Amino acid sequence: MNIDLPALIVGAVLLAGLYATMSYGLALIYGVMKIVNLAHAGVMMWGAYAAFLVITRLGVNPFLAPVIIVPLFFGLGMLMQRFIVRRVMYAPPISSLLLLFGIWLIMQNVAYLLFSGDTRTITTPYTLTTFKVAGISISVNRLVVFAVGILALVGLQRFLGHTYVGKAIRATAQDGAASQLVGINTDRIMEFAFGIGTALAGLAGTLMALIFAFDPDFGRSHLLKGFCIVVLGGLESFVGVALGALVLALAEALSILVVMPALQDFISFAILVIVLVIMPGGIMGLIAMLKPKGVIR
Amino acid sequence: MSKLPRSFGRRPFTWKLWAGLAGLLFLLAIPLLRLAGGYLQTLGFLTFLYVTMSTAWNILGGYTGQTSFGHATFYGLGAYTTTILALRGVPPLLTLPLAGVIAAVYGLLWGYPCLRLRGQYFAIATIGVGEATRLLMLNLDDLVKHSALFEGLLRKGVLTGGATGLMLPTPPDIRAYATAFYYGGMALMFVALAVSWWVKNSKFGLGLFAINMDIDAAETVGVPTTRYKILALLLSAFMVGMAGSVYAQYVFYIDPQTVFGFPVSIAMVLMPTIGGIGTLVGPVLGAVVYVVVQDRILTANLTLGAFRLSLSTMHLLVYGGLLVLIVLFEPKGLIGLLRRFVSWWERRGPQRVAAASSHPRRGEP
Repeated sequence: MNIDLPALIVGAVLLAGLYATMSYGLALIYGVMKIVNLAHAGVMMWGAYAAFLVITRLGVNPFLAPVIIVPLFFGLGMLMQRFIVRRVMYAPPISSLLLLFGIWLIMQNVAYLLFSGDTRTITTPYTLTTFKVAGISISVNRLVVFAVGILALVGLQRFLGHTYVGKAIRATAQDGAASQLVGINTDRIMEFAFGIGTALAGLAGTLMALIFAFDPDFGRSHLLKGFCIVVLGGLESFVGVALGALVLALAEALSILVVMPALQDFISFAILVIVLVIMPGGIMGLIAMLKPKGVIR
Repeated sequence: MSKLPRSFGRRPFTWKLWAGLAGLLFLLAIPLLRLAGGYLQTLGFLTFLYVTMSTAWNILGGYTGQTSFGHATFYGLGAYTTTILALRGVPPLLTLPLAGVIAAVYGLLWGYPCLRLRGQYFAIATIGVGEATRLLMLNLDDLVKHSALFEGLLRKGVLTGGATGLMLPTPPDIRAYATAFYYGGMALMFVALAVSWWVKNSKFGLGLFAINMDIDAAETVGVPTTRYKILALLLSAFMVGMAGSVYAQYVFYIDPQTVFGFPVSIAMVLMPTIGGIGTLVGPVLGAVVYVVVQDRILTANLTLGAFRLSLSTMHLLVYGGLLVLIVLFEPKGLIGLLRRFVSWWERRGPQRVAAASSHPRRGEP
């Protein structure tokens, strides 16, 4: 079998941008609220269907769809946090896990009811266009998706670093009680963070819908990949998430050299379990561990 | 005052005993009566199977508090062990304990590393394990074909049959066979319940409850937390594996999507949680509700004028809604709701007596 390695790597990097978008919401919600958002998968799936409706029914340009979808999902996330998730904030972690799992089930089955189980695809004018750089053909579609995802993340990074609300979100993630002491309304901030996380999931779903086929069960494998990335990258930093996304995308792409394509997802789930068990600190944790020993500078 | 609760406490016991006996007799008589053309018998068998699974999950998920979304791996392995061996000439019933053992061994394989994770991380890891196992079983044949070491496992070029699944031959007298399985399923359920009861009332169970409440504190007072968690997983896996084996023998056909599918794992999370997590009776109640609701909804069609809606995919919507309501308002599940109702009823009783006795006095001039 002849495999074009450079093209494989370029493809993996482009996919990593999408993975980062999808995982950052998960990391943000975990960071601020210390809850694992299983409903993330449902939100991604709804994002995909929202894109489908906006693009095919309203005839919006596929790459402008996020402009409509992101605010919509931000609102949805705020409402979810205010009326449902907030009630289990201080309960044992398992209740929030089960609660969000229940929400995921509801979202999934509402989608089955509304859209049936048929697999859908969105074809854009650019779906089949490619261009060549240095002999590597790149899909325009994937490049634009990558660009939108990265743009959103960079914008968010600026927001978190340079605005009051952004700094308050980071402070709450670091220490909720201390943030309250200095006068941050952490309840409001959590609502906001959940909104942002949900909006990111919606955006990721929209972008994925432009590349992959989807059905109401879509999102479960991506959720697992998201966990994998978050655990790989550590929960604190944007850089970590980007790094984790890159590692996972590359591992997946290169796994084709070793195992058959049908087992590609197996690789990412295996990585998830292995990383969770042997290096809970992720890549950053590994670096932090090796630094004092002088292995890495 | 002190006499009242005692007499209250004794009478429901005999009442419960008689009701239990009547219920048991009814369950035993179902195949003989052939109610609703054997429909009740099928439903009963499914309920026994689900009660077994629900009770088994509850030992790890309820008593120990380690929520597993990967129990379908045990169910599937049990089903596949039995089917693969039966196709090679082993009597299916003899494979039953082996199915449990293989499931437990697999449980040890992934449980040993994963159980070191805490709470939410364990739950995520189990989703990963479940999905990875399903993908592996889906593609196992292709992997085996290419390796000289395992090639001998194939029979007519097939080990697991991939997505096509495996088919068992059906016996000649299907009705007697089904009836036998009805009683077999019932026996399995009672074994599972006995094990669950024993665990709950043993020192081992006490350790599990301690782990659930505070693992660090449990460790401090000398509970061997890791060993207990693994033992709970093994026990749970063994019983779910046997349930999977019984299922395979009953339906004669299995494929990775049905026995290893995420819905199987979801069912095992939902039943005990809805019924009452960490209790003995809760998982039973949850499983009964699960089977009945699923059965009612799968066959229902909602007709609103010209608009016909098939509800066949709705049952998970109902359970999702139930799960959300239960987590928000009654974390102890239906059992908690029932207990709340009973205590409300008992509190209400004496007041009414008092009101009734005071009434004539007030009527006096």
